[in-house]
Amino acid sequence: MEQSQNQSRQVSFHGEGAKLFGVYIVNILITFFTLGLYYPWAKAAILKYIYEETEFEQSRFTFHGTGKEMFIGFIKAFGIILVIYCVLFLSILSKKAAIMAFGFLFFYAALLLLIPVAIHGSLRYRMSRSSWRGIHFGYRGNLKEFVRIFVIGSLLTIFTLGIYSFWLIIEIRKYIFKHLRFGDLTFSYEGEGGAFFVLNLKGYFLSLITLGIYSFWYVKDLFNYYIDNIRMHQDDQKLIFRSNATAGGYFKLIVGNLLIILFTLGLGTPWAIVRALHFVFSNIVIEGALDVNAIRQTEENYQDATGEDLADMIDIGLV
Amino acid sequence: MQHFSISYYDGKLSVSHDATLTLMSDHWLIHYVDELEELQSVKWKLENITTDQNFTTLLIFRYGDFPQQTIECKDEVLLPALNEKYPAKVFLEKKLTHIFRKNNAILVSMVLFLLALLAVAYLYIMPFVAEKIASNIPESVEKRLGDSIYDGMIAGYTVDDSLTRAVNDFAKSINFKTAYPITVTVVKENEVNAFALPGGHIVVFDQILLKMKSKEELAALLGHEVAHVHYRHSLKSMFRTLAGYLFISLLLNDINGIAAVLADNSNMLVNLTYSRELEADADKKAMTVIQSNGISLKGFVDLFQLLKNNADAAGQYEILSSHPLTDERITYAKAMAREQTGIRDQSELQRKWVSIGIK
Repeated sequence: MEQSQNQSRQVSFHGEGAKLFGVYIVNILITFFTLGLYYPWAKAAILKYIYEETEFEQSRFTFHGTGKEMFIGFIKAFGIILVIYCVLFLSILSKKAAIMAFGFLFFYAALLLLIPVAIHGSLRYRMSRSSWRGIHFGYRGNLKEFVRIFVIGSLLTIFTLGIYSFWLIIEIRKYIFKHLRFGDLTFSYEGEGGAFFVLNLKGYFLSLITLGIYSFWYVKDLFNYYIDNIRMHQDDQKLIFRSNATAGGYFKLIVGNLLIILFTLGLGTPWAIVRALHFVFSNIVIEGALDVNAIRQTEENYQDATGEDLADMIDIGLV
Repeated sequence: MQHFSISYYDGKLSVSHDATLTLMSDHWLIHYVDELEELQSVKWKLENITTDQNFTTLLIFRYGDFPQQTIECKDEVLLPALNEKYPAKVFLEKKLTHIFRKNNAILVSMVLFLLALLAVAYLYIMPFVAEKIASNIPESVEKRLGDSIYDGMIAGYTVDDSLTRAVNDFAKSINFKTAYPITVTVVKENEVNAFALPGGHIVVFDQILLKMKSKEELAALLGHEVAHVHYRHSLKSMFRTLAGYLFISLLLNDINGIAAVLADNSNMLVNLTYSRELEADADKKAMTVIQSNGISLKGFVDLFQLLKNNADAAGQYEILSSHPLTDERITYAKAMAREQTGIRDQSELQRKWVSIGIK
């Protein structure tokens, strides 16, 4: 067992735009001809490819999710969204102020509840279906607790005209990482709302003053603040995540991807995705002593994909 | 007996074992040396083995219930060996999606097919759907939309009340054959222009009015704009443009852009430009209406001449950009006027024209 404190490791991404394009073009065509019903399988194929090309310590990751699981989730999520919109539209059609007010209240309350449910469900599903060397990831957050944190935080955000949102984001990250597992490895997030707020304040105003030029430094700072505060724990060992991302790197990534997507009318999206993943993984370093042969399986099987698709439909990426 | 070198993961610990795989008649045998230097042997029953459908050349097999054991094999001869040894069991299913992976010709033809599909959708299907939607919008909604655009826009102009009153009075003595309530607003603007909004509002710039020499010209202008209203041209081109933007934003995966497009389009309405085909259509429909009112079609010839002169002079006649070439319009109007019969006495209209007070 190595015990050096100077160990550093990286996750590397070996995907190629052309290969991802092969997956992507088939997805688009079948999704188009099935009027969108193929979407869950399309998504599963993309995730499978991306995981397969992601390597840590000479072993690739695996995504175990299937189109079928996600299709069932897709149907459930679609049903939930449909019901919420139906209530809203029916209340509007009634043309009575009281019923309309109730409709809107119901709509926003449902959305407010749905977002944490979607994040929770998505994490549960995605993590449990991810593995490396046969060891599964997992998310053990408690839905009720998470909804409470989210709803209270959102209300506070509204009452403070948005200012509290920075503390809320950090609180959510802390909660998620605290309940994230990779076998018997645990995680934590050490960011602080105050520092995060100052970072955003500075980034926002400097971007305004420099007519957007500073925004590349701003996104770099946000990314680094996210990564640099992640910790991973194996028994008593603490591992630190560190980001090497630079504003110049971000500039190349963003402008390049924009041009690729624009000039190919969107068909170049796979190359843009590959570039983004290369950028992310090549800029993250995991420092500290880790025994990569001693990670023990701890998670249980979990197959409900409702959250995964719900998160897609209300358009929230994983935090 | 064939042996294959593999990596074995027991599903309990992340350690990777270098192992050998031996294919038996109804099971697989996996041998490896564990951390305590002891030889271990694992038996996989054939019926519980599953294969990962993956995209790389690495072969991955899993066994049993959660947490599954896994083996990975880089040796590509394993697959043919499996097919030979167990002809009854399918390890790697041939999926539709796999056909495309290795064959570049199929891939390229699919890209071309997709591009053709997009082109057809953009050029034919989308305008058709947009127009269908536009023609199915209830009149009340159209009127409300027109009213709100009008309210938002008219604030930016100075309305000439007396001209507005007189021109509306003039318009009332022509039967435009439309159910839309036509209301004309004359605004003070140093530009030769006029446009129609959904639902019946017509805005006429006073400069075009002041340059007119006969009642027939005004009748022609109103007839043309009423045709835009009656056949919902502005609604149709609005939907077309909107659908075009929408299509491109969707293509570029930019869902948030759609909201921005919707906001931007309120601007666009001011400089509404119709396609040439819609303009020619409006000319034709307007001539039919004006003719059935017994008014001379010479007004159209004069109106187009007026537009032409002003376009040459000022070069700022915005609507012209998409209008059919003015010369073509003049030729067409002349031909129609030549064949016209049944011109009636228009002394009533003449009286109202005089009361507008243009010398």
